[in-house]
Amino acid sequence: MKILVTVKRVPDPNATIRVKPDGTGIVTDNLKYVVNPFDEIAIEEALRIKEKGGGAEVVLVSIGAKVAQEQLRTGLAMGADRAILVVAEQDLDPLGVARILQKIVEQEKPDLVLMGKQAIDDDANQTGQMLAALLQWPQATFASKKESLESEAEKNGLPGIQMANGKAQVVREVDGGLETIEVPLPAVVTVDLRLNIPRYASLPGIMKARKKELKEIPVAELGIDVTPKLRVLRLEPPPKRKAGRKVSSVQELVHLLHTEAKVI
Amino acid sequence: MNTQRDGNVWWKEFPLHAPTEEHRLLAHTVESFVRDEVEPQAQSYNRDERFNRELFRRAGELGLLGLTVPSEDGGAGLDATAAVIVHEALSWSDPGFCLAYLAHAVLFVHNFATNANEQQKRRVLPQVLSGQWIGGMCMTEPEAGTDVLGMRTTAELQGDHYVLNGRKMFITNGAIDDNTLGDVFLVYAKTGGKISTFLVEKGMPGFTLGQRLHDKLGMRSSMTAELVFDHCLVPAGNLIGEEGASLQHMMRNLEIERVALAAMSLGIAMRCLETMVQYANTRHAFGVPLREHGQIQRYIGDSYAEFRAARSYVYDVARRLDLRSLGNRADADGAKLFAARVGKNIADRAIQVLGGYGYMGEYVVERLWRDAKLIEIGGGTLEAHQKNITKDLCRAPEWIRR
Repeated sequence: MKILVTVKRVPDPNATIRVKPDGTGIVTDNLKYVVNPFDEIAIEEALRIKEKGGGAEVVLVSIGAKVAQEQLRTGLAMGADRAILVVAEQDLDPLGVARILQKIVEQEKPDLVLMGKQAIDDDANQTGQMLAALLQWPQATFASKKESLESEAEKNGLPGIQMANGKAQVVREVDGGLETIEVPLPAVVTVDLRLNIPRYASLPGIMKARKKELKEIPVAELGIDVTPKLRVLRLEPPPKRKAGRKVSSVQELVHLLHTEAKVI
Repeated sequence: MNTQRDGNVWWKEFPLHAPTEEHRLLAHTVESFVRDEVEPQAQSYNRDERFNRELFRRAGELGLLGLTVPSEDGGAGLDATAAVIVHEALSWSDPGFCLAYLAHAVLFVHNFATNANEQQKRRVLPQVLSGQWIGGMCMTEPEAGTDVLGMRTTAELQGDHYVLNGRKMFITNGAIDDNTLGDVFLVYAKTGGKISTFLVEKGMPGFTLGQRLHDKLGMRSSMTAELVFDHCLVPAGNLIGEEGASLQHMMRNLEIERVALAAMSLGIAMRCLETMVQYANTRHAFGVPLREHGQIQRYIGDSYAEFRAARSYVYDVARRLDLRSLGNRADADGAKLFAARVGKNIADRAIQVLGGYGYMGEYVVERLWRDAKLIEIGGGTLEAHQKNITKDLCRAPEWIRR
C-alpha cells in the first residue's frame, strides 16, 4: 500500500491577513506559513492507516516555491516516509495543480491519494475532484467519521477511512447525516475537518525528519502546460461587520428579518 | 544558505530564534502543545496550587523531557537554543508548569545525563525521559542560598553506603502534592569539605519530605518542598562522578539553568506585551482607543524595546553556549539578570494598562506578574549575577569587547 498525500504551504490561519491596497494580493511580509490544516488531517489519516490499518508507505507531495520544503519537513517530522517537491515559482490554478499531480501519480503509482478537501488560502475545493477526473479514478470527497473527535476511537488514533479488499470505505458528512460509500482502489479521497485531530511532531520525529528523502522536481521537467485558465481580478477584504442591534420583541425580530435582512 | 539571495547575504536572514530546521519544527510542536494542552489547564492548576502530572507525562511523550540529552542516551540531542525555545513557549502560558519542567529536564535530567556513568544512566534515564519519575536537584539549604559553598549537608562513606545528613530548602519537584515526595534527586553534599553529587531516590532510608511549602507568591502549579536527610543511606553506586569533584558539574549546569530561566522571563514578557497591545487597541477612554494616549504609548514602547533587547541577548547567549563546557558564566548570568527584570517590568506595565481588569485573574497578567518575581531570585539572585559578572569581567576585561 502506498499513499500519496498532498501538502500545500498556506498562511497561518491564526494570522491576520491584510489585502494589499491595490488589490493584487495579500501582504506577505512577516507572514507565518503552515501546512494547510486540511492537508494536515490527510497526513494524520495516512499515518493512522500506516500504523493501525495494515501498513503503508506515506509519500508527501507539495507544489510551489522552494520554501515549501518547510511544510514537507513538518509532515516528515509527523512520520511520513519521504517527500516530493515540484518546484514551481509561478502562480497555478486548481487545474494546473491537478495536472502536475496527475504526472506525479503516474510516476509514483499510489493506491490512494489523500488530499485536504480544500486549501484555506483560496478555498477552491476543486483540485481533488479534477485530479480524479484526469486520472479517471473513483473519488470520495469530504471524508469524515462516525465517531466524534472526543471518542475512544479518536483517542486511540484509529483511522476513519477503512481499507480492505482493495477498497476504501469512506464516511461523508452530507446534509442531514452521514453517508458511507465504498470506492475501489486506486482512488482519490479528500478529507474534511472532523476526520481526526492531527498529532504534533514529536522530538524523535523531528530529529529523524532531516534524514528522510526530499526529492525536488522542477515543474518544467514534467512537460505539461500549467498556464492558469483563471485570472484573479482583484482581492478585497470582507466588509467590516456592523454593530449588532437589540430588538424588543420576537415580533420585531421576525419583522426585521423579513423586511431588512430579507432572510425569511 | 551561503549564497546571495534577493540581494542579501545569508547572515542577514539568519533566524536567531530558530536557526535550524529542527529548531523551527520544535517551536511549532511546542506552540501547538501550549495552545491545545497547556493553556486550557493553566488557570485552574495555579489557582489550586496543584502539579499536573498527566500534562508532565504528555511532555514526556512528545520527547520534551530529554531535549538536551544525547541521542545515544535516548534524548533528542538538542542544544541551549532548543531549551530557550521550549521555556519561552511554556512560560507564555504557565510559568509554574515550566518551572517544574525546568527542575526536571534541566536540573535533573540534563545534569544527570552529563555526569552519570553508563550503568546509572541505563537504570534511571528511561524513567525520567518518559516522565514516569519526577526529578529535581537539591542545592539550596535553609541557611545557605547564594553562599552555596556554605552548605552544611554532609555525606560520609560507611562500608558500601554513604550516610547523608542535612536539609535542603525550596526544592522544586521536591513533592508532587502535600504528602508525596518526588522520585529522584541530585543532591549536593560535602564530602571532606568538597562538594559531591548523590542520586537520592524516594524510599531510601532516612530520606523524607520535611514539608511541602505553601503560599508561594507565584509559580503555584509547581511544587516546592523542604527535604530532610537524616542518616540517609545512599548506596555507594549512587555517587555521581568522582567524590569531591562536583563543583564543576554544579557550575556548568548553572549556566544552562540560568539561560533557561531567562527564557522563562521572555515568555512572560511576550504574553504581557501581547495582552497590553490588544487591550490598548480595543479599550476606549476619553473617546479614543487607549493607544492614542501618550502615557500608554510609553508603556508599550518601552516594553517592546526591552523585550526585543532581552530576546536578542538570551538567544545570542544560547547560541554560543556549549553544553559540555564551562566558561559562559558572565553571559548566562547577564542574560538572566537582564531578562528577569524585563519580565517583571513588562508584567507590571501590563497590569497598569489594563487597570482594574489587569488586577483580576481572568486576564492572566496578574498571575504572570507574581510568577515573574521568582526569576529575580531562583537559580541565582540578581545580586549573585552582579557579583559573578563583576568577578569575571575584572579577571578578563577583554570579554567586554568579545
